[in-house]
Order: sequence, then structure tokens, then C-alpha cells
Amino acid sequence: MDYVNLRRQAASLRKSLFDQGYLDEQFYQLEDLQDDASPNFVEEVVTLFFRDSARLMANIDQALDKCVKDFNKLDVYMQQLKGSCTSIGASRLKTECTFFRECCRDENIEGCMRSFQKIKREHSVLRQKLESYFQLLRQAGPIECATRPSK
Amino acid sequence: MASSQVVKVLVVDDDVLTRRIYRTLLLRFGFEITEAEDGKSAVNKFIDGNEYDLVLMDKDMPRMDGVEATRALRGMGISAKVVAITGDENSRGAFLDAGADEFLLKPLNITALTDILKAFNFLN
Repeated sequence: MDYVNLRRQAASLRKSLFDQGYLDEQFYQLEDLQDDASPNFVEEVVTLFFRDSARLMANIDQALDKCVKDFNKLDVYMQQLKGSCTSIGASRLKTECTFFRECCRDENIEGCMRSFQKIKREHSVLRQKLESYFQLLRQAGPIECATRPSK
Repeated sequence: MASSQVVKVLVVDDDVLTRRIYRTLLLRFGFEITEAEDGKSAVNKFIDGNEYDLVLMDKDMPRMDGVEATRALRGMGISAKVVAITGDENSRGAFLDAGADEFLLKPLNITALTDILKAFNFLN
């Protein structure tokens, strides 16, 4: 197996995640926490994020389905989702969460609906990209050290 | 400090992801970590007789928020260092009035927290 090529692909995918705004500086902090004692820390945290965010998004879906919209409840759920996005550096998701919360404050249900559809799309795309990234890393095997993409 | 040489930290946040990240960071420093998922659980841990040197306190949590929990701890005479870590930048005044020692905004900046831990003499 061409491990060098796999690592190159992983590095390229990682760079694209930053260049396209999917991830921000916070992801670097997670990578900095990964070491021999926690060799899979980043993937574990990302896995936790997608599990937790799926639960929150299901709650939001249910709340949006109700005839009477509880904007306070929607805002609380979205605040939690935004917090999780912030923790892993999911930048585009975080931005859309902020917009959703603004729509809640304005009691703009149409805005909330549109925003939530976008959040679901962004969530799905980010999940696919990160799953591909970690799969490449697993195939490539351990690397000596992570390097930040040049800015 | 608590009776042991090891720094004992209580991480208080309703987000399991956040607690996981803090845990990994603090274990690196050789700290002993306990977690609480809301302010009421945090206060109960002290009521149960546990001792901590440091509390990392989120703000928005169910049952009891971080400001209220901080106020409750100080009211009990708890002298542990309390560092508020929250995304609510408007809560700085409330936290400090409640007795928090420091205030950090989320997302957690590792360097900023490390500087605070050094200032508290928790790190060499």
C-alpha cells in the first residue's frame, strides 16, 4: 500500500477543510492535545460531536414539527449545538447556528426552517469529509507529527 | 490546596464533548479530574465532602447555572479557585461578583488556561 500517497491525500483533504472554511483554529487545539497517551483523541472527539449533534438536531426537528413553535426551546437547543460546533472548530456550522438563533430571537419561523435545512446539509458534508479524512489516516498508519497547513 | 499533592479539578459543564476536551488537557498536567454535568451536581460534590483545588465552571447548565453554583460555593466557604469558561461574554461581571477568580471565553484557549494555572501555582 502506498502510505506516502495516502498521507498526502489526508493532508490535502485536511487543508481543504480549512481553506473552504469548514474548520477553524479550534481544530488545531484538538490536534495539539493528541499525543501518545491519547493517540486517537481527535477522532474520538469528532465522533462524540457527531453523535451529540445528531441528537440535538433530532430535538430541533421535533420542535420545528410542532404546530406551536417554542422559540425559547429552539434557541436553547441551538445554543448547545453551537457550543459543540465551537468546541471542535466546525466554523461553517457555527456560523449557521448563529443565524438560526437570530431567527429565533426575531421569531422568524421561515428563517429558522431555511437555516436548519442548511445546518443539516453542512453537518452531513462535514461528517462525510471528516470520516474520509480519518479513514485515510487509519489506512496511512501513524505519522511522526502533525503539521499545520501553511496559511 | 486539597490534602493531596495532586491538583484536584472539578470540571462543570453540561456538554460531554467539552468535558472530554478539558479532561484530556488537564490529565496532561497530571491533575486528578472529576466531572459534574451541572451546577447542582457540582455543589453536591462539595456538600458530600469532596475537596477540589480548582473548578472549571460553565455558565448555561440545567438545574443550576454556573453563576449560581459559584455563588453557592462561596456561600459555603469553599475557597477552591473557580475559573468560569463560557461562551456568554456578558456574564463576566456576574461571575466575578459571584466569586469566580478568573473568566475565560469559549472556545477554550489552551494557552490562556495554562497561564491562569501557572498564576495559581498549579503548574511548575
